[in-house]
Amino acid sequence: MQEDKTPEQPKALPWHHPARWLNGSQLVTRSEVDVLLFSTAVKLLLFPSYHSTDFEVHRNWLAITYSLPISQWYYDTTSQWTLDYPPFFAYFEKLLSIPASFIDPQIVDLHNLNYDAWSVVVYQRSTVILSEIVLGTALLRFIRGAVDPSWQRVLSASLFLHPGFLIIDHIHFQYNGFMFGILLWSILMAREGRKLASGLLFAVLLNFKHIYMYLAPAYFVYLLRSHCMSPSGEILPTKFISLANTVILVFGASLGPFILIGQSPQLVSRLFPFTRGLNHAYWAPNAWALVTVMDRVLLQLARRFNVGFVVHQQGVVSTSRGLVGDTTFAVLPTVKPIHTFAITIAFQVMFLVKLWRTPNYKSFLTALTLCGYTSYMFGWHVHEKAILLVLVPLSLLAADDYAHFKTYMIASVSGIFSLFPLLFTPSETLVKIVYSLIWGVMVLRPLQKQVYEFPTTFTWVILEQLENSYLLGFAPLLAFILAFPLVFGGNSQVEFLPLMMTSVYCALGLVWAFIRLGTIYLRQ
Amino acid sequence: MHKHNMKGWVVPCAIAASTYVKWCIGLGSYSGYGTPPMFGDYEAQRHWMELTIHLPVQQWYRYDIQYWGLDYPPLTAYVSWICGKIGSWIEPSWFGLDTSRGLETPGNKLFMRASVITLDVLIYVPALYAFTRIWHATRSSRTQHAALITLLFHPALLLIDFGHFQYNSVMLGFTLLAINAFAVGFDLVGAVLFVLSLGFKQMSLYYAPAIGAYLLGKCIFLGSKKGLKLFTRLALVTTLSFVILFAPFLPPFSPMSTLAASISRIFPFSRGLFEDKVANFWCFTNVTVLKWRRLFDGKESLLVKGSAVLTALGFFPAVAGLLWGCYKTQSSPPADQQSQASTPTLPLLPYALLTTSMSFFLFSFQVHEKSILLPLLPLTLLLSGASPGEEVFAWGTLGNIVGVFSMWPLLKKDGLGIQYVAMLLFWCRLIGYNPFRVQFNSFVHLFSTVVNMSMILLHLLEMVVTPPARYPDLFPVLNILVSTPVFGLIWLWSIKRGIQVSWAIAGLPRSRTDGKIKLAKDGAHDSDNEPASATDRRPVALGGVRRDAGMRTVSLGYASGQSSGVGGRGLVDPRRRALERMSRRAGSVEVDRVAGER
Repeated sequence: MQEDKTPEQPKALPWHHPARWLNGSQLVTRSEVDVLLFSTAVKLLLFPSYHSTDFEVHRNWLAITYSLPISQWYYDTTSQWTLDYPPFFAYFEKLLSIPASFIDPQIVDLHNLNYDAWSVVVYQRSTVILSEIVLGTALLRFIRGAVDPSWQRVLSASLFLHPGFLIIDHIHFQYNGFMFGILLWSILMAREGRKLASGLLFAVLLNFKHIYMYLAPAYFVYLLRSHCMSPSGEILPTKFISLANTVILVFGASLGPFILIGQSPQLVSRLFPFTRGLNHAYWAPNAWALVTVMDRVLLQLARRFNVGFVVHQQGVVSTSRGLVGDTTFAVLPTVKPIHTFAITIAFQVMFLVKLWRTPNYKSFLTALTLCGYTSYMFGWHVHEKAILLVLVPLSLLAADDYAHFKTYMIASVSGIFSLFPLLFTPSETLVKIVYSLIWGVMVLRPLQKQVYEFPTTFTWVILEQLENSYLLGFAPLLAFILAFPLVFGGNSQVEFLPLMMTSVYCALGLVWAFIRLGTIYLRQ
Repeated sequence: MHKHNMKGWVVPCAIAASTYVKWCIGLGSYSGYGTPPMFGDYEAQRHWMELTIHLPVQQWYRYDIQYWGLDYPPLTAYVSWICGKIGSWIEPSWFGLDTSRGLETPGNKLFMRASVITLDVLIYVPALYAFTRIWHATRSSRTQHAALITLLFHPALLLIDFGHFQYNSVMLGFTLLAINAFAVGFDLVGAVLFVLSLGFKQMSLYYAPAIGAYLLGKCIFLGSKKGLKLFTRLALVTTLSFVILFAPFLPPFSPMSTLAASISRIFPFSRGLFEDKVANFWCFTNVTVLKWRRLFDGKESLLVKGSAVLTALGFFPAVAGLLWGCYKTQSSPPADQQSQASTPTLPLLPYALLTTSMSFFLFSFQVHEKSILLPLLPLTLLLSGASPGEEVFAWGTLGNIVGVFSMWPLLKKDGLGIQYVAMLLFWCRLIGYNPFRVQFNSFVHLFSTVVNMSMILLHLLEMVVTPPARYPDLFPVLNILVSTPVFGLIWLWSIKRGIQVSWAIAGLPRSRTDGKIKLAKDGAHDSDNEPASATDRRPVALGGVRRDAGMRTVSLGYASGQSSGVGGRGLVDPRRRALERMSRRAGSVEVDRVAGER
């Protein structure tokens, strides 16, 4: 009720007011504190929820970094969850392991495998919430300098409360909020024209988690073109050298100790295990999911009509179960890592050329999104969690115009839906669905009203109708998936069906959103 | 959301968000988790589902009483039967007779949690929505939404029902539906609903004096002829619904002794004066002044009578207020022309409910710490329409927070510490209350500050200090020492407010000046009570009384909506809606209170 009367502007608060402690210089408005407190309360409630093996992975890393000397970090195999993040993350875990050892020494005991007492749950989950401050501060800074702060506020809140973070970080367990916080700080620096800082932060981020390499080409091109060269195309050696030195320094701080003791080959083999298949256990909804399902369909057709396809017997049994391992197609030619690599590069080059020609912030943001998107679409062994690499930068573009918003809407809905299978336990079903629904209504409705434009051509009318019916299609899909175990429970012949349908249906939306965004960008 | 022209989404989103929060609380531990051999309330409820589906009705109240024998009224048993049937259709091993004792599988937990949520959504949430639509009918839709949100996230109830594990929301929901029915004039429906509430959990007897007095008051108000007719109807309907509720236990279906067995189970006078540590009068004085149990050793019945008398004295002002108010307004001319919809004492009803239930909580026999939920419901109903700065708001928030605090030892035992912190944080922020704020401008603010400080201090102490071996219950006892005075003062405050409101009601129809003088007197009396600087206090006192006593009867009550007759509301509503729409278009700068959930 108080909110009804309090204006949105920050006002002078008495010294004992907690909002004042939170911001110091009264930079935080009431609604921003609301977002922080409500989300924290909700996240606290999720402490006892299901956590995946990633929880034990991170606990094991706490133990490794606490109890072993640095030379052993990348060699230890006590647990099957060996350290496979870059050194900065290992340092970060080392930092976290020190308070942990005071709270409960058993947390950092290397041989105490699968330890999940309440103490470690509370500790690790709290560190996730606390480390999200990086994300929160970046989003606040985005509001302050924005062209239209009121809409940036909605976008910032939408990112801070993103169901993706809730599902992956606060239930499944990872530190994505923290990582994306660094990424957003880096993007923010780019927006403010402080490109050296932007490059520095991105280099730091790469040394926390190397999946952000998906975004590296956009950074490389943007910084090279806009920072190291004058607008007319002359190279500025001083700027180039300072940037290069910064990046080398960051990598030196991170990898230096390991290179000095001669562990670089071991490090590389840990970070880049090229022994996995094309698809993950549950196919990430990308282009390969569509190709795989097309292969299945062709196989059925071949069987029914006895068409003279060459059917690889190995492929017949391969994908139906969707287990981890090599995916071999039955009908279509087999895809090798080099193919996925080539396609990814080809698409990225298109976008990067565009970025080279228009090296401004908006263009950079779109190219960044598209770089991540291309890798997600065509990469080798992509995990569905990587969709955040697309959704987070794309969110920053959502309020630009209706075309961007619609792309964002399709990508967000299908991207978030594609994360649902991460939480397969029945208790969390309601959590993920209701939260995502509320988020969707709160974010998408007001944004849509703000930027809506009538379609101008007949083609667009048709497309708009198709898109809307696609989005509505998620409701029956969800109903089908929820009802499936009741109807077909125990039938192992079809148990992969809900996952496959989720993957394929989401892949349709994500591929379409990719095409949309790519076209918008290239035609701008 | 009002800001973004999304008014229609407020209610669905609020309900969805509250369901989400409830479910999240349910992810945690519950009463008696992993503590054989008796476990806790969760096991009790599960056990009832188990025994009702396997045994004939005659055995329900007799089967192995030592292991969580059924001790709730029949409706609970019927609901348990339905849940048990559904549950054993899904998985028979969940409710195998005797074999399933102490069952703690995740699937069973999921089912039990889902059953609470389902009943809550079916009964309590619609009751709350109806309450905001009916009782706040004259307020803006923004206030109605605010009230709904305040009530939906009521922390004490959420923690007990969805954390600790009970079905209180069903009982409270039926009572609330009954009150709603009274407000729109369906007294008979209301009476049946209240019987259902009683039939679900005997604890709603705490409300019975107020409800009874209200209905009796209405009979008086209507005058001898109409009143007598209503009285006979009410008596018939109430008796009949009780008979139907207890039908399977009555002679044609089972011997009379079955009924006796169930009655003796439902009202266990053979147990002690109080259980564990409860923040009520008996436990408080037991700690501070004298040992009741030792004093009355062997004379338990005297103690029972004593507690009954004290309780009756405690709720007497409320009952008297309701009856007196009706008697006073009985002869006033407008009453005859009015439809039978409601009596002028309707605004008094929440206060009366608060007084009676709090008096039961403080003085009656065999009180659980969870029973604080009953006084908290009317308190929160009153709070829901208030805005910060009002006296009602201050007392309402204080009562709710202390209510949750008084259950801390219980919640701690259940392993719900995180949920406790999260819910308090969430709710305080939601209603715009800051427990850290230091305020000295009125008695209640000063008092709240002191209580809040001592609660925080206690929590900090508990974290740092381990209680000495001699006093293992040190912290629960300190908890009681903080909580009981708050509850006592809320009880006194509710009586005071009840008197104020009934004065306002009874005074107004006769002559306006008369009423005003009384109000002014009351206001003066008010400021005598509360030490504060005169300059500061004066406007607050006047504003507060005017709004609290005068406007409150209009806003919480229903009088103004009803004054234009039965068709009046229908006419008033669209106009008001149009006005609101206009003001919305004009671009109101009000802040969305649920902005946080965007």
